[in-house]
Amino acid sequence: MQEITLTVNGRAVTATVDERTLLLEYVRDVAGYTGTHNGCLEARCGCCAVEVDGDVVKSCNVLALQCDGASVTTVEGLSPQRVKPVQHITTQSLAGVYAPLDALQADADTLHPLQQAFHRRHALQCGFCTPGMLMVLKDFLEDNPEPTRDEVRGAIAGNLCRCTGYQHIVDAAMDAAEQMRQDTVRAAAAGDA
Amino acid sequence: MKPFTFLAPRGLDEAVAMLGEHGPDARVIAGGQSLLLAMKERLARPSALVSVAGVAGLRDWTYSESGQLDIGAATTYAELAEAALRGWHAEIAAVAGNLADRPVRTMGTLGGALCQADPRFDMPALAVGVGAEVDTVSADGVRTRSADELFRPEGGTVLGPGEILTRVRYPAADAYRAVAFEKFRYRQFDAALVSVVCAVRPDGSLRLAVGAVRPRPVLVSATDPAGIADEVLPAAEATTRLRAYQRELIAVLARRAIDRVNDDARS
Repeated sequence: MQEITLTVNGRAVTATVDERTLLLEYVRDVAGYTGTHNGCLEARCGCCAVEVDGDVVKSCNVLALQCDGASVTTVEGLSPQRVKPVQHITTQSLAGVYAPLDALQADADTLHPLQQAFHRRHALQCGFCTPGMLMVLKDFLEDNPEPTRDEVRGAIAGNLCRCTGYQHIVDAAMDAAEQMRQDTVRAAAAGDA
Repeated sequence: MKPFTFLAPRGLDEAVAMLGEHGPDARVIAGGQSLLLAMKERLARPSALVSVAGVAGLRDWTYSESGQLDIGAATTYAELAEAALRGWHAEIAAVAGNLADRPVRTMGTLGGALCQADPRFDMPALAVGVGAEVDTVSADGVRTRSADELFRPEGGTVLGPGEILTRVRYPAADAYRAVAFEKFRYRQFDAALVSVVCAVRPDGSLRLAVGAVRPRPVLVSATDPAGIADEVLPAAEATTRLRAYQRELIAVLARRAIDRVNDDARS
């Protein structure tokens, strides 16, 4: 057992964990952010993608100990209002499945541009792969603000979605890229003013 | 996974000492993208993991005075893909940016790929193809080998249990006029089914290597696609469908690589 401290979505989380603890298990079971999904556990499906110090990794294939001292962002960290970890599954949190924005007490404007685009473009059906898709695409779009559709498909090569056929996910990513470019321009203009 | 001790040394001497202390069952972990998968399957059961991710001076790249490209073994694929490399060295960055998938490239390292020595991986084939050198450190001191010497014919590396791969040195930019790496994989994140490296020396002669077919990357003496296929995988050995397909791929990829280097060398 070793004591480690990770900053998860801006909150320092210290725990004494077994050496074998994966980052995925730390994020879900220790920090309590269950938005990061355990899919294949063998670095294939990408449902467990999170950002570690600004770069996306598959958290099922990284030891928590490898990330000691690092700053981790999960899908909950994408939209600022969803930073409270879910402690128990309740009827209220289950109701969130049917009216997710209401359950989060969020509206479409406070979501990350990618989340808005996924919502608008119907880029998820069962939603299991969505946290991973969002994290990988966020990292990709930050590095490549003007991608082609082929490049987007290349970026999510390591993310499996069995529902959508990827078409709407690529649509949403292109939408979000456009939105993020506009936001950058607007932020730069605000900075000048 | 079987239980293990996790050690995070800050310096190379400390890392070597830790490896010595924990005996032959201790393993070095860099990104862990291959090792952790093997540990989950219990194919690897290390008693201790010595992480070199935090060791100073293993995650950088520099040009030496003689123009060689010197890359720290713990440099990740993502870092390598973004490196502004000159001349044919740009092909190294291109290969690093076009393997596995984005999250895996964030963690996976050059040295990790070489030590894993999976014949289907791109970096071992590229290192052998261009004649790179590797430095290792152990309790006996620093040792330099050619990439060709690193890989055993039956697979795996010749590295001893206490040895740590520290640097990978590629020949200078003027050692080759151009280098091309071509591979085929079923899906984008898969390892290669066949990979071919072709380098043109300044005198116009070709240096070719084929990966993913034999248990280690092999240098070939033939310089025509059909001859290369015969040398690496003779028709008599290509008895299964997969082998027959690989044999066809060798010739096709060799043709592409040779055409590409010839185009690059002219321009």
